[in-house]
Amino acid sequence: MTRVYPDAPADARVEALEEQNVHLARVIAELRNQDALKTQFLANISHDLRTPLTAVITHAEIMRDGILGELTDRQAESITGIISGGRQLLDMVSEILTYARGAANQLTLARTEFTVESVVEQVAVMSHSLVGRKEHALSVDVEPELPSVYADREKIAHVLANLLGNAIDFTPPGGRVWIAARLSRDARAPAAVEIEVGDTGIGIAPEHYDLVFREFAQVDASASRQHHGTGLGLAIARKFVELHHGQIWVESKLGEGSRFFFTVPLRAAP
Amino acid sequence: MASHVLVVEDSALLTNALRLLLEVTGHRVSVAATVRDAVSTARTTHPDVMLLDVTLQQEDGLDVLRELERTGDAPRVSVALTGHDSPEVHQRCLAAGCRDVLVKPVSGAELTARIDAWLQE
Repeated sequence: MTRVYPDAPADARVEALEEQNVHLARVIAELRNQDALKTQFLANISHDLRTPLTAVITHAEIMRDGILGELTDRQAESITGIISGGRQLLDMVSEILTYARGAANQLTLARTEFTVESVVEQVAVMSHSLVGRKEHALSVDVEPELPSVYADREKIAHVLANLLGNAIDFTPPGGRVWIAARLSRDARAPAAVEIEVGDTGIGIAPEHYDLVFREFAQVDASASRQHHGTGLGLAIARKFVELHHGQIWVESKLGEGSRFFFTVPLRAAP
Repeated sequence: MASHVLVVEDSALLTNALRLLLEVTGHRVSVAATVRDAVSTARTTHPDVMLLDVTLQQEDGLDVLRELERTGDAPRVSVALTGHDSPEVHQRCLAAGCRDVLVKPVSGAELTARIDAWLQE
């Protein structure tokens, strides 16, 4: 690469700078290309990981269901372990696949009109056993007569389930977890429904507010960390919210719990 | 209720699992891994049920059903199997003529119960 000497004649410096620009543009294009290849690789490999994993789970379920003969209690327990480990792995692989598709801009929205209340109810019911296991108190508060939204129901449910899952995961037994939905009071943004998921859990330090939404980032990345996962959950949630032109953010205090918010605009952006 | 099931799936790992499950529960099973193979197997063996993987190697699994529909050879019941559940995939499968869409991994008990239910309709 040509060096730019401050005391060289002006046209020589311009020429050298132009040459540098051309070089840098080439480097950027090359890096973008490599990034796209890696994203595609990630999408392909996670798709291919699913197939053998699905076979493992299907075989284990055939045995668990007694289709090949009665099992002893110990055998049933062991097979159940294989199935739950396999399912957990499959969820993580699916998460990586969703992330890779998002990074490669291969995600699209399938919009329908629905009420946020129905999604809140669905997600709360789905999380019932998780909430019960940690003896959390889950409360739901949806503003009456909230207008319906025109959005991708499955993706909104995914975001809400992810936030609720985190709230449950990061809140010690006996804590409080809540979901609230209201009309957004932000007058600068288009009309939207604002959904809040809060907890009385371990909380997040202000310097980590941005980090938690970044892919592969975990506040505690040490091998001894207590909470495991791909570190993609919130990055995917952010992607889904942004696809809807909504916003997602967190307010939290270390040791006192977190409140995650996201908005879903009532209408699709023109 | 015993029936003849055609499994269209490009992974031998999965077809082995499904074959085991279906044979043990009394069904007869044929297997095909490509669109071409599946179309000719369906035309010669006339299965009652076709389980169709949506993404075959470089091919659209739904092409099997489209081709069979075109010549009036479609099985009584065709059902899509997919690894990725999304509204787009769901709609595409139903539009191609699938009765139902199952997301892998399908539980063995659920699959056999559904096959019985479809055939009784």
